[in-house]
Amino acid sequence: MSEEFVFRGRAWVVGDDIDTDMIYHGSYLPLTDPQEMAKHALEYVPGMEDFTDKVQPGDILVTGKNFGCGSSREHAVITLQYNDVSAVVAESFSRIFYRNAVNLGFPILEVPGIARQVETGDELEVDANAGSVHNLTKGVELQGTPLSGLEKEIMTAGGLFGYLKKELQAEE
Amino acid sequence: MSGKTVIEKILSDHSGEDARAGDRVWADLDLAVVRDFGGPNVVLEYEKQLADKPVWDPQKIAMTFDYQAPAKVVQVANNQRICREFAAKHGIPHVFDVNAGIGQHVLLEHGMVLPGSVIIGTDSHMNLLGAVGSFSTGMGTTDVAAGWATGRLWFRVPETIKITFQGEYGYPASAKDLALFLLSQIDTSKTIYKAMEFYGQPIQALTLAGRLTLDSMVTEMEGKIGFIVPDEQILGWIGERAGKPVEAVVSDADASYWEEWEFNIDGLEPLIACPDRPDNVRPVGEVAGTPVDEVFIGSCTNGRLEDLQVAADVLERMGGKVAPHVRLIVTPATTEVAMEAVEAGLYETFIKAGAMVTNQGCSLCTIGHHGVLAEGDILVSTGNRNFRGKLGKGSLAYLTGPAVAAATAVKGEISLPE
Repeated sequence: MSEEFVFRGRAWVVGDDIDTDMIYHGSYLPLTDPQEMAKHALEYVPGMEDFTDKVQPGDILVTGKNFGCGSSREHAVITLQYNDVSAVVAESFSRIFYRNAVNLGFPILEVPGIARQVETGDELEVDANAGSVHNLTKGVELQGTPLSGLEKEIMTAGGLFGYLKKELQAEE
Repeated sequence: MSGKTVIEKILSDHSGEDARAGDRVWADLDLAVVRDFGGPNVVLEYEKQLADKPVWDPQKIAMTFDYQAPAKVVQVANNQRICREFAAKHGIPHVFDVNAGIGQHVLLEHGMVLPGSVIIGTDSHMNLLGAVGSFSTGMGTTDVAAGWATGRLWFRVPETIKITFQGEYGYPASAKDLALFLLSQIDTSKTIYKAMEFYGQPIQALTLAGRLTLDSMVTEMEGKIGFIVPDEQILGWIGERAGKPVEAVVSDADASYWEEWEFNIDGLEPLIACPDRPDNVRPVGEVAGTPVDEVFIGSCTNGRLEDLQVAADVLERMGGKVAPHVRLIVTPATTEVAMEAVEAGLYETFIKAGAMVTNQGCSLCTIGHHGVLAEGDILVSTGNRNFRGKLGKGSLAYLTGPAVAAATAVKGEISLPE
C-alpha cells in the first residue's frame, strides 16, 4: 500500500447497512485461499453481481452507513483486498469490519455525506492521512476523520502482524 | 476523576492502565477461541506468520466446532482437521468438537467464562457472554492469531450507554421481545461500538437464558457488548462450574456514561423482525397470517432449555401437530441442553409434532447447516439475523421468540400462541 495513504481510482457506490453476507456470503466460508475468496466479493449486493468481472486495480469502494455489519468474518476485508480495491470510504463502518481492516493494513476512511456526493464511475482521490476525499469528476471535496493514533500505526506497519513483528522477534 | 463503568474496570484490570472511554489499551486475554468457521484461517495465518512458534498459553485457547457440525462438506471436514491437528501439536486441551454445541454456551457451561474476564473469538456473537459480566467480543482471523501468539490485544475502550428498563410484562412476551423492542427503539448510528449496561426490574427478573437472549442481539444493535450484573444465583451457578467462587464486576456509582436511556416496557407484546433487517420490528399481530415454509427454533439467541420448553408447551397447547406444509427444525444449543430436553420429554413432543430435532450447534443461523431455503421460501426463526439471502438467495426470514415460532409452525402462518 501507498505509504502516503493517498489513492486515486474509480468509485463503486453501494448503500447503507451492507452486511458481511452481502460482501462475502456464508456459503463460501469453507474457502481459505484468498484468491478463491476474492471471486465472490460483493456477490450478494443487489446490482453488484458483476463487480469482480469489472473491478480494476485501484478502484475505490464508497458506501453508506454501517458498512460491514454482521459477522466477524475477516473474509469480508480479504475479498476486497484481493480484488485490488485500494480503499473503502464509508459514511460509517461496523466495528468488526473496521478493526479487521486496520489489522490487515487495508485503508478505510469515514467521511460523512460521502455516499450522496459520489456516483459509480467517478474518479476519486482519497487521502486517508488527511481524511479527505476529492471527487475529481464532480469537483467536490469532502472532509472525514483522518487516520490517527494506534490504528494509524498498525495500518502503517501493514497490519497487526507487521506492527507486532519486533515484539514477536524479540521473544524468540 | 469520575468512577468507572464495567468495561473501564475490566480493561483497566487487564491492561494495568487507567483505561477510560476512548483510550487505546493493550489488554491481557483470558481466553481466545476459534470455531470451525474462522478457526482454520487463524491456524493458517498463525503458521504463515510464526511457523512453529509455541502458542502463548495452551490452557487459554479453546476450539468450538459449531458452524457445520458434523461436517457435510469435505472442505469443512478438512478445516476441522486443520484445527484438531494444530490443537494436538500445541497441546491445546480445550477442543469442543462437533458433538458439543454452540461455543459460547459450551464454554459457559464448562465454567470457562468468568465475570470480569476478557475473551475473544471468531464469532460476532461472542458478546452474548456480557450476560454474565464477561467482556467477550468477536474478532477476525488476524486478531485471534496474534492473540494466540502474544496473549494480548489492542482495544479502544468503548463509551457506555446505561439503559434502564421499567415496567412489567409476561408470557407470551419474552426476553427476545425485549431485545427486539430495544432494536426498534434505538438509532444504531448512536450505538456503534458502544458498551451497554442493562438495569431495572425487568432485567433483574431475567433468567440466565433470558439474559443470554437479550445480550446476543447487542451485535444487531451494533453495540460492542451488553453487560448485565450477574445476581447471586448466576454467580453460584458459574462458581460451581468453575470450581471456585466468582465475583461480579460492578460499575462505580459515579461512573461516567456516554448517555443514559430509559424505556418503559409495561405490557410488552410479542414482536417480530421482518425482512431484511433485525431492526425492522413490528407487533406480531401486524403480520399475522403471513404463510411460512419453515420454522427454526434454536441458535445462540434462543437455543436453551427454557426456550425449547416454551416452544414444546405451545405445540402441545395448540394441538401438538406442525402444519403439513411446514418444516420445523429444532436445535438445542449444547449437549447439556439436549440431555435436559430429553429428560424433560421435549424430544418426544417435538418428534410427535412432526419436527426434526437436529444435533446441537449453530444450525440454521448460517448456511452451513441442513435446512437451507429455496428461492421464495419464508422462514420464521428464533435466531438473530434476517439479512437478505442469508440462508438462500431469494428467501425471506422473520425473527421472533420461541412461543410465536412454535405457534407459527402449528398454524403454517405467522401466529400468536393460543
